[in-house]
Amino acid sequence: MKRRTGAKAVAIAAAGALLLSACSTSTTGGDSGDDKGGMLTVGTTDKVVALDPAAAYDNGSSLVEQQIYPYILAYKPGTAELNPSIAESADFTEPTKYEVKLKDGLKYANGNELTSSDVKFSFDRQLKIQDPNGPSSLLGGLKSVETPDETTVVFNLKRKNDQTWPGVLASAAGPIVDEDVFSADKVTENQEIVDGKAFAGPYTIDGFKFNELITYKSNPDYQGFIEPAKTETVQMKYYSDANNMKLDVQEGTIDVAWRSLSATDIDDLGKNEDLKVHKGPGGEIRYIVFNYDTMPFGAKTDNADEKKALAVRQAMADSVDRQAIATQVYKDTFTPLYSHVPEGLPGSDDPLKAEYGDGKGGADVDKAKKALKDAGVKTPVELNLQYNPDHYGPSSGDEYALVKDQLDKTGLFKVNLQSTEWVQYSKDRTDDVYPMYQLGWFPDYSDADNYLVPFFYDTDETPSFLANHYRDEAMNKELNAQSSIADEGKREEALKKIQGQLAEELPTLPLLQGNQIAVSGKDVKGVDDTLDPAFQFRLALLSK
Amino acid sequence: MSAAISEPGAEAAETSVAVKKPSGGGLGRYVLVRFLLIIPTIFILTTLVFFLMRITGDPITAALGGRLTKAQLAERVHAAGYDRPILVQYFEYLGNLLKGDFGTAVSDGQPVSSILLNYGAATVELVFYALIVAFILGIPLGMLAAYHRDKAPDAALRVLAILGYATPVFFAGMILKLIFGVFLPILPVAGRGTTETEYIMSGVVGPTRFYLIDAIRIGNFEVLGDVLAHAVLPAIALGVLTAGVFLRLVRTNLIGTLEQQYIDSGRSRGISEYRLVTKHAYRPALIPIITVMGMQIALMLAGAVLTETTFEWKGLGFKLAEYLTARDFVAVQGIVVFLAIIVALTNFLVDVIAAFIDPRVRY
Repeated sequence: MKRRTGAKAVAIAAAGALLLSACSTSTTGGDSGDDKGGMLTVGTTDKVVALDPAAAYDNGSSLVEQQIYPYILAYKPGTAELNPSIAESADFTEPTKYEVKLKDGLKYANGNELTSSDVKFSFDRQLKIQDPNGPSSLLGGLKSVETPDETTVVFNLKRKNDQTWPGVLASAAGPIVDEDVFSADKVTENQEIVDGKAFAGPYTIDGFKFNELITYKSNPDYQGFIEPAKTETVQMKYYSDANNMKLDVQEGTIDVAWRSLSATDIDDLGKNEDLKVHKGPGGEIRYIVFNYDTMPFGAKTDNADEKKALAVRQAMADSVDRQAIATQVYKDTFTPLYSHVPEGLPGSDDPLKAEYGDGKGGADVDKAKKALKDAGVKTPVELNLQYNPDHYGPSSGDEYALVKDQLDKTGLFKVNLQSTEWVQYSKDRTDDVYPMYQLGWFPDYSDADNYLVPFFYDTDETPSFLANHYRDEAMNKELNAQSSIADEGKREEALKKIQGQLAEELPTLPLLQGNQIAVSGKDVKGVDDTLDPAFQFRLALLSK
Repeated sequence: MSAAISEPGAEAAETSVAVKKPSGGGLGRYVLVRFLLIIPTIFILTTLVFFLMRITGDPITAALGGRLTKAQLAERVHAAGYDRPILVQYFEYLGNLLKGDFGTAVSDGQPVSSILLNYGAATVELVFYALIVAFILGIPLGMLAAYHRDKAPDAALRVLAILGYATPVFFAGMILKLIFGVFLPILPVAGRGTTETEYIMSGVVGPTRFYLIDAIRIGNFEVLGDVLAHAVLPAIALGVLTAGVFLRLVRTNLIGTLEQQYIDSGRSRGISEYRLVTKHAYRPALIPIITVMGMQIALMLAGAVLTETTFEWKGLGFKLAEYLTARDFVAVQGIVVFLAIIVALTNFLVDVIAAFIDPRVRY
């Protein structure tokens, strides 16, 4: 008898499930009942590492930080121009003193006042915690922070007129946190931050499920530079599989898909009449690194010859067809890169375009042949080229297969293409195992400096990130100098000169620049406003 | 007649007791021995997982090796104690496990015990739904096959069963997504609920983390419907495999039972074949299903890793795949050991239930 009852219960439950399933609907947006601007749902595959800025230096965490924390400076939408945000003013008062005057009446969502003490606390704790996942390395130029009064902050800097400092204040190292909620000497737990309502950005967090869903509510007390949020509630849904995000944006389950749809998915979604694909300049770059010791004719090879090594690099630059890679492999979600600084940033140039190949950005085999012949290089030159299949997206294999194909077809090179998994790859590349290899870069802050100094400034005290044995004392001086030029025009000139020199020398071969791409429903507004050279996805600008 | 059948059984039981008594036989001893066997099983599994995970090096280097300088890495490895002798670390790990401390994930700093708590319920819920699918499909179809044994419907159902358990779960998942997500978009293909449901669930006070239970608790039928709608495809993808096993098992056992003497007696009394199958033969045929349930649940947990990843069902399998990709061996180790404990305990419970129902399986 009991069993029969059980079977009936199962049958009723199943029928009920089907009935309820049939009745339920997947809805987003519009119906939330909010008075102001309704609701939007945004999907992403980026992951959050931590809500504490001291412990996070990744795209996913920065995305959240930009919505909930106040910054002293913020980028003007559509530009890479910095403006005071929660500051009234911010500028150098002395060569090594950067003074900030905060606005009056700043406060956090929990009611706590935001004063200069919080600013000092925010920077001091990062330097103290030095979490390896955090951005404390960006604060290398900071000597100390002073707070003469409640609204004045003085940053004492190590370098004179450090023009990168404003960029640092708007970077992952710049969020200002509440000293009553955050720990001074250790990373604060996500839930403590959410429960403590330690927010003073355009949004506060109303609901938080780690790497599943974040519900943002507009912050009525926000006093920063970005306009008040245009949409009252924004849900950020986290996906692990971009295919699922693609299906959801296609079906209207989410309003915007932000990072990272595959090139083929973007191409496919672009054909959907109900959707719009938004493209903006991207800070991500892809390039080939040359190891000056181990590349053909490198300093530590049996047939070392600096001139021949340079000719090999230049002939490779003549032979690659960047547009073909961008179109065939990345469906134009990447664009050709003709400089070491990406397009869109003040001071960026494109010296490789005119100097190599056909002068218009395309390849030129005859020019490559001449470069090698003039240097007395016998062809074909054997190149051992490495790429990584698991860190720069699944298309790296196709990208480097095409690079190999382009180089092989010239008849000037014979490319041995190999790949290595990331953990081993990152060890090997700095241990001189690879003569030439793939790398990519996301900027720490939107300034040309961030694409030059970490790569090409190399001293015993500050070795370069590349560790490829490129060291040029004259270049070191120029890189040092440009960061202290206060006059914008003169600084841009200096940056262009550096790019020109690097284009001749080619310690790395720039290939591609990533676009920022978002896919949205046709009714969503404001997406294009945030896809700018600041490389920040500001939810406050979105509405429908 | 029933007395005549029960008597030999009783005799056998008595004989069995007479033989086993000196070594303390019976249900109590069986339960105790089976429970004690769990300890070495878990110990061996834990040891294996620990050392296998460490073959490739320490967890910090594995998770963060590509992002830190050599000096930063050495500092982190030293601070976490991963530069100490491996046996010291192993015994410390065991000690912490006994205290319920599964460690802290390297990649996102989450305590593994909170990962187990937050995501374990989702996996259990998925396995529950899949078991319902397996029962709903497997048992009636098994009975149908037995009823039509050696005829066309039986052959068709047997082929279906083979297809069911031979189809890789991720493949079934992708096909379901293709059908119900692309061609006929009537069912959700990702997550445990819409963003609204997730939002509501994030605010449920004292959540059980079982969405089905929490939705009923808060009395929100729209959420309940949404939760069930999201469960349909992953439950089918995962449940079909077990349904195939159940179908074959029910069919085989039912056919065996239908050849028993007491069924023949029923036939001679004029009871219809349909009634014999549905009334008299199916209950004994279900007993073996309980005995294979433990193994099936273990297989389902393994299948859940792929199902959860395919359908963004944020359970332990989903997190396991995520942490594997991030090479976070502390989190992977914690989840694998936890799943091993769950499988061992499930097998123990199933064995106890089987022994309770069928005394022949006792020691």
